[in-house]
Amino acid sequence: MEFNIEDYKDVDRLPITTGLEDELCAIMYTDEYKEVMGIARSLFQSKEFSNRAKRLTSKVIQLAPAYYTIWNYRYEIIESEIKKMSEPDSTNFLNKELSWLDEITLNNPKNYQIWSYRQAIIKLHPNPDLKLEFPIISMMIDDDTKNYHVWSYRKWCILYFQDFSNELTFCDNFIQRDVYNNSAWTHRMFVWKNLNPSKVQIMDELNYLKEKIELVPQNISVWTYLRGLYENFLNDQYDQEIINFAETFINGLFDNTTTLPKIESTYALEFLADIYSRNPETLQNSITAYNALSIKYDPVRINFWNHKLKKLTPCA
Amino acid sequence: MSNPLSRAKFIDTKLLGRKRTVVEKIVSEEEIEPLMKELETDTTISRDEVKHTCQELFEKVINKEEVVLDRKFHRRYLDLAFGSTLPPQLTALDASQPWMLYWIANSLKVLDPTWLTDDIKNAIQEKIFKLSEVPHQGGPFGGGVGQLAHMAGTYASVNALAVCDNISGCWDKIDRQALYDWLLALKQPDGGFKTCLEVGEADTRGVYCALTLASLLNILTDELREGTVEYLVKCQNYEGGFGGSPQEDEAHGGYTFCAVASLAILNSLDKINLEKLMEWCSLRQTNEEGGLAGRSNKLVDGCYSFWVGATSAILESRGWDSSIDKKVLRDYILICCQSSHEPGLRDKPGKHSDFYHTMYILFGLVITENTFKDQGGHLCHNIEAKLIDSYKFIPSDLQGINPVYGLPIDDTKLFMNHFRNIDKK
Repeated sequence: MEFNIEDYKDVDRLPITTGLEDELCAIMYTDEYKEVMGIARSLFQSKEFSNRAKRLTSKVIQLAPAYYTIWNYRYEIIESEIKKMSEPDSTNFLNKELSWLDEITLNNPKNYQIWSYRQAIIKLHPNPDLKLEFPIISMMIDDDTKNYHVWSYRKWCILYFQDFSNELTFCDNFIQRDVYNNSAWTHRMFVWKNLNPSKVQIMDELNYLKEKIELVPQNISVWTYLRGLYENFLNDQYDQEIINFAETFINGLFDNTTTLPKIESTYALEFLADIYSRNPETLQNSITAYNALSIKYDPVRINFWNHKLKKLTPCA
Repeated sequence: MSNPLSRAKFIDTKLLGRKRTVVEKIVSEEEIEPLMKELETDTTISRDEVKHTCQELFEKVINKEEVVLDRKFHRRYLDLAFGSTLPPQLTALDASQPWMLYWIANSLKVLDPTWLTDDIKNAIQEKIFKLSEVPHQGGPFGGGVGQLAHMAGTYASVNALAVCDNISGCWDKIDRQALYDWLLALKQPDGGFKTCLEVGEADTRGVYCALTLASLLNILTDELREGTVEYLVKCQNYEGGFGGSPQEDEAHGGYTFCAVASLAILNSLDKINLEKLMEWCSLRQTNEEGGLAGRSNKLVDGCYSFWVGATSAILESRGWDSSIDKKVLRDYILICCQSSHEPGLRDKPGKHSDFYHTMYILFGLVITENTFKDQGGHLCHNIEAKLIDSYKFIPSDLQGINPVYGLPIDDTKLFMNHFRNIDKK
């Protein structure tokens, strides 16, 4: 049934303004908004859990998706309905609710009340299905590939359903599309941290990552990810192979430090500076690297480089 | 993907997904050293646009040392907001009414305490108390009349009252017991806080609002803080910054600030990896625009001058080096976030100013012009700001701010001491 204002003839229209004279930041509401919200306040206050109340919440959400009070009210209505139902009615009912929510979501990509509401509905659902969550998540991320709330909701879902089987492919799609997509990279780390990967899996992942680094060496996301892999799964121990790999992006900087060469990646240099700082034999290279970053390659971070240098040369 | 891809020029466009064709692009040498390969994607296209518009603005400036904050111009924007009814488009902020009061009042206060007149202060406190969830009670507060109490709305309400100098005894009208009971009800078993009973997200923002409220109002008990440090520690991810919740969320400037400020209040900054946090903060600043971005490979935005800038300032107040280049950030703020055509401050060139950005950019500007030191005592109430003398600039003549609470220093102290003095009696 569609929303019809006639269904609410008997309901008081409660005020939605303070009634103060010269109220600060009063909004010039439209008449429709004032009336619909006035009805909503009334029904909400009397805790009316009815079909017309539910229809009204749809209308309010359409007008003001960020009006969190109405999401809470709708949840209470749904919850009271569910209590009266048995299977499979409740499953069907909640699936319908999720489809309704899909539509609202598509029209309000930036709203985030939607996602906590969705979580609440999934928790209420007797037979929730992860596969039914994927289409809306994919559509939203496809449209806005770094949408924080949607990635975060996906993580929540994956943990709730404990099904990680689709995640690496999902991330890979977005990484292929935009190798700089940090949301996709962090999602990938989330997956590994939950999977307890074998050494072989981590080595495969390293190879995957190296390809991406070679594709675009000047990309913060991949270098942070590289360090994340070593810190979490390889005891923070860097082998010669990875050091050699990183050195291919700095154009022999350590061979000739009188003229600083053009390099392919400042992040590779930062990565090496950190590793070199751990060994007294390579300490000088580390100092050279931090100085070069500070003077030439990444000068805006001078305070941080100086902080690093101070730690390496406490007497200086 | 077993096909070995090496370097941009060999890329098969079919392997790189849809939407964008891949173009190898060599960044011109004049733009920045070193010479680097870039792969054209959505990320680089939008970034190049911002770099370009900022560059144009920088080129128009003859001497950066002489650029000033147009205080009177921005005041017009704030006065207008308090002096007129807001247009229907701002209905989108209907559930954020205390936020508007906080953003505007706090901006006026940091610009010049006398610009927030007693009449306005009175009007603020009158309105705030109409937003109490239970009518005629002193909180917790909702986003508008008849709305449910909300963590963010209550945070903004109490902070708006904090800058009103207890006018008409408004500080004593805050119902601290009701607020305390409500905060406890929002507390989660894992140490986090929900923003709203029933359906409400739980994230570091909820924790920050709860802890600052409790700390300001002197109701921060052991019961309220139990398990919260552990919750926050779990929000730091491998990048070094913090995500919204303890599930390896992407590190984000807003959530990082909330977590770090909360940990400062809980005196537990030593529980996290501070080296990585500093590194993450420093990585947010770009060489070309000089502004701060909220996440890796995202665009600069003036509001992160506060979210990331204040995170750095909090560490600085505890004796750590600043993670950001303040002078460069200040140039971004003054040259790219203000426009001579439109009062108020903006995210970046090409955007309109709004209340949110105006306040957080002003607060970010204070951070760029000062050094911070926590003088000790309890709960970060005694952080001092001192004008920087290591580089030349014309000071913007703004009040010092407390980076933990997001309020001017004087207001933070007065407000906190008010409740502590009452409780001593």
